[in-house]
Amino acid sequence: MSERKGPRYALLGLSAAVLVGALGYFFANPDQSVASQALDKAKTEQKLQSLAELDGKAPSHRALNVQTWKTAEGSKVLFVEARELPMFDLRLTFAAGSSQDDNTPGLALLTNAMLNEGVAGKDVGAIAQGFEGLGADFGNGAYRDMAVASLRSLSDVDKRTPALNLFAEVVGKPTFPADSLARIKNQLLASFEFQKQNPGKLASDELFKRLYGDHPYAHASDGNAQSITSITIDQLKAFHNKAYTAGNAVIAIVGDLSRAEAEAIAAQVSAALPKGPSVAKTVQPSEPKPGATHIEFPSKQTHLLVSQLGIDRDDPDYAALALGNSILGGGGFGTRLMTEVREKRGLTYGVYSGFSPMQARGPFMINLQTRAELSEGTLKLVQDILADYLKNGPTQKELDDAKRELAGSFPLSTASNSAIVGQLGAMGFYDLPLDYLETFMQKSQDLTTDQVKAAMNKHLSADKMVVVTAGPTVPQKPLPPPTDKPSEQPLGVPEH
Amino acid sequence: MNLARRAAGLLLSTVLLPLSALAAEPQPTHEFRLDNGLKVIVREDHRAPVVVSQVWYKVGSSYETPGKTGLSHALEHMMFKGSNKVGPGEASLILRDLGAQENAFTSDDYTAYYQVLARDRLGVAFELEADRMASLRLPPEEFKREIEVIKEERRLRTDDQPMSKAYELFSAMAFPSSGYHTPTIGWMVDLERMSVGELRAWYEEWYAPNNATLVVVGDVTPDEVKALAQRYFGPVPKREIPVAKIPLELPTPGERLLKIHVQTQLPSLMLGFNVPSIATAKDPITANALRLISALLDGGYSARMPTQLERGEELVSGASSSYNAFTRGDSLFMLSAMPNSQKKVTMAQAEAGLWRLLDDLKKTPPTTEELERVRAQVIAGLVYERDSITSQATSIGQLETVGLSWKLMDSELADLQKVTPADIQQAARTYFTRERLSVAHVLPEEKTHE
Repeated sequence: MSERKGPRYALLGLSAAVLVGALGYFFANPDQSVASQALDKAKTEQKLQSLAELDGKAPSHRALNVQTWKTAEGSKVLFVEARELPMFDLRLTFAAGSSQDDNTPGLALLTNAMLNEGVAGKDVGAIAQGFEGLGADFGNGAYRDMAVASLRSLSDVDKRTPALNLFAEVVGKPTFPADSLARIKNQLLASFEFQKQNPGKLASDELFKRLYGDHPYAHASDGNAQSITSITIDQLKAFHNKAYTAGNAVIAIVGDLSRAEAEAIAAQVSAALPKGPSVAKTVQPSEPKPGATHIEFPSKQTHLLVSQLGIDRDDPDYAALALGNSILGGGGFGTRLMTEVREKRGLTYGVYSGFSPMQARGPFMINLQTRAELSEGTLKLVQDILADYLKNGPTQKELDDAKRELAGSFPLSTASNSAIVGQLGAMGFYDLPLDYLETFMQKSQDLTTDQVKAAMNKHLSADKMVVVTAGPTVPQKPLPPPTDKPSEQPLGVPEH
Repeated sequence: MNLARRAAGLLLSTVLLPLSALAAEPQPTHEFRLDNGLKVIVREDHRAPVVVSQVWYKVGSSYETPGKTGLSHALEHMMFKGSNKVGPGEASLILRDLGAQENAFTSDDYTAYYQVLARDRLGVAFELEADRMASLRLPPEEFKREIEVIKEERRLRTDDQPMSKAYELFSAMAFPSSGYHTPTIGWMVDLERMSVGELRAWYEEWYAPNNATLVVVGDVTPDEVKALAQRYFGPVPKREIPVAKIPLELPTPGERLLKIHVQTQLPSLMLGFNVPSIATAKDPITANALRLISALLDGGYSARMPTQLERGEELVSGASSSYNAFTRGDSLFMLSAMPNSQKKVTMAQAEAGLWRLLDDLKKTPPTTEELERVRAQVIAGLVYERDSITSQATSIGQLETVGLSWKLMDSELADLQKVTPADIQQAARTYFTRERLSVAHVLPEEKTHE
């Protein structure tokens, strides 16, 4: 769940910040749009010709032929043949995230980060030269539920074979050299120092503590200075033996390969992993105590997080909640939160809400930032919007729009190999059926406003929220009045 | 993702290499111009029934003058606030209902808008985009709120981000004579006094079909795009556009040092050298040599910075190099590093470490093996980039908008292969000098003892 990747990349946040500065400014985060209610009275007499000409049918999408099997050692494999580009993506997902840390926060992440630091006969430099000399990309990351190791390579057999051989060694037989461990620990310690300047990260860490108490999701995946310092090579080896087993792995493959070639790749990788079963599933957390916590921080803005425990990945209400959330604050503009907080009042650059279904119940969270002197009023506004939404549910028009949006965006979800391999990894990891995407779509299209409202109220209560704020304590000002222009509906989009 | 290709600054995308190199059919690319001057580039990619449409305007923060900084970016925000056929925010709602992703971005050289959507709805993207190209409304009451959103954006991304804040001041110092001096989001004092009238003037000055490029990549044919483009963009009248001068820098402005104390626990370091871009270099070999230098330094975990500074000497907790060769004017070759505080490395020691890498490049040509590794990454990167229609379109749009041709993508590999080890040495000697150098020491705030 966490955004963190390996420690190296975390540290490169330093340089990333510099580069982003040079890249220009995105107008908003995920999608753009601006649902202002202040529509000009004079507007839209002229209908858009292009809209009128749409036939109203749901668009076609790239059909995925997902194939699945198990390797001899028990790894689950999902494969999509994609011959268009001479490349392939291989993604291994292990139940080896920080929820498996036990009493050693950071163990899962450190194990993952150490995979490519040494194998028999090769040190970290030789491994890096090996992949990069072939033009292959090795990737890794550890989150709360899962740890990932991935390979992207040209499919040409001269490139593919050596890249796969090296990859199999790296994930299956890492040597965890002591000098690398010392260096990566130091880099993690530096990143903890670096995080102290980031009020958003401080707030998020505190929120997970408040939501999860002594549950394994409570601590950040990268651990803390004390726990990281104490981790030994033996612990890394033991963790690798337990959690990087074939039985605990999902292998997703997409690309320019035949079924037979994909089977050979899966067999090779699976055979290289330690033998063993899958690890026990994460237990469910208990209900947190509602209430607010403030972190004092000398920033210009205050970061606001409003949260509650949400759902796990198997929850039958997921489709209803996802659709309900997309109306409240999922995605970009046009949501209730974005309209009220940004568009009508100019209080924030972005406000988002979302469920993060995980193996055990993941969080529901609303997050935003606003200037410190308006933070209390803004928090109240956000809480009122949520309470009102839970009380009254979505309108029929909001629901229809959300369904149409979902159907329209569906072709984008399988448009690239990287998108497909990500879907396969999640489907395999959470044991979802092969027709999951289509089923989810269909289920969403059948929902009524009452069902969405009921599902939202079953899982959320406005008075049970855990709130974390981070920012300076300053005298508060009242919110500016909202724009008083009557809201106006957008042009009709043909039904389908 | 692998930082290699990024760090190398290789503007790679779908390049039409010989079949032997790629074993994939090249994607056909077509180029034409409407009578009103709008340039259109279409690249076919039929893997999935989706398409990306981007409109790129040749205007950005490097076009702005003192007191009027941030105009391009603010105008980008206001482009979502209604035009002749739609009210404020309405276009976004329509696109959202259609399941489209849309976005916009502003940089020093360009302002661009894009939609990614199912192929059958491309006409909607065109009609909305053409409408705001021709008839933006700019309602004053919308501006009043939106400028507050922009200030929040500035607080979020710059004022409360110590490294961004430092970078903003560093750029202002490193570009003494050109418009690259100006931060894209604008100085806060200028945001405070910006008026909607200025935005109107800025829009009328630069937003015309003859100052824009339409890029379409996806499951389309050139004929259908041409018909749609003609139908929606064709009627937008051509206008006279001011002459935009290329941002040129002093070649050797002299050594500059910035010490800035910010809300941080860890000090860090930036070095920037004033260098040409592909557009301003007398010989493109120079710029390509600098791109290869950046790849040698930071093009992957086996490159020199991670190998020598991060792992070998353990002087830095992290370090990077960057060079954007694809700018309209002169560019900057950047190095940044965070001294390894766990090992008590000082700023001076880290800085000396960076200089050792630069001096090595001057003294010793890179080995064939090292260059082969970079080449392998370039070849693979050409294929990988083709997995994303958006990155293909972005490469095309960026090249065209900074005054280069999208066809440069075709010659990517060949252009880099023209660079000899001696060229690399020569570029290092010419450009990594004190007269071209800006340094920033980004330091924790000093505690005052009373």
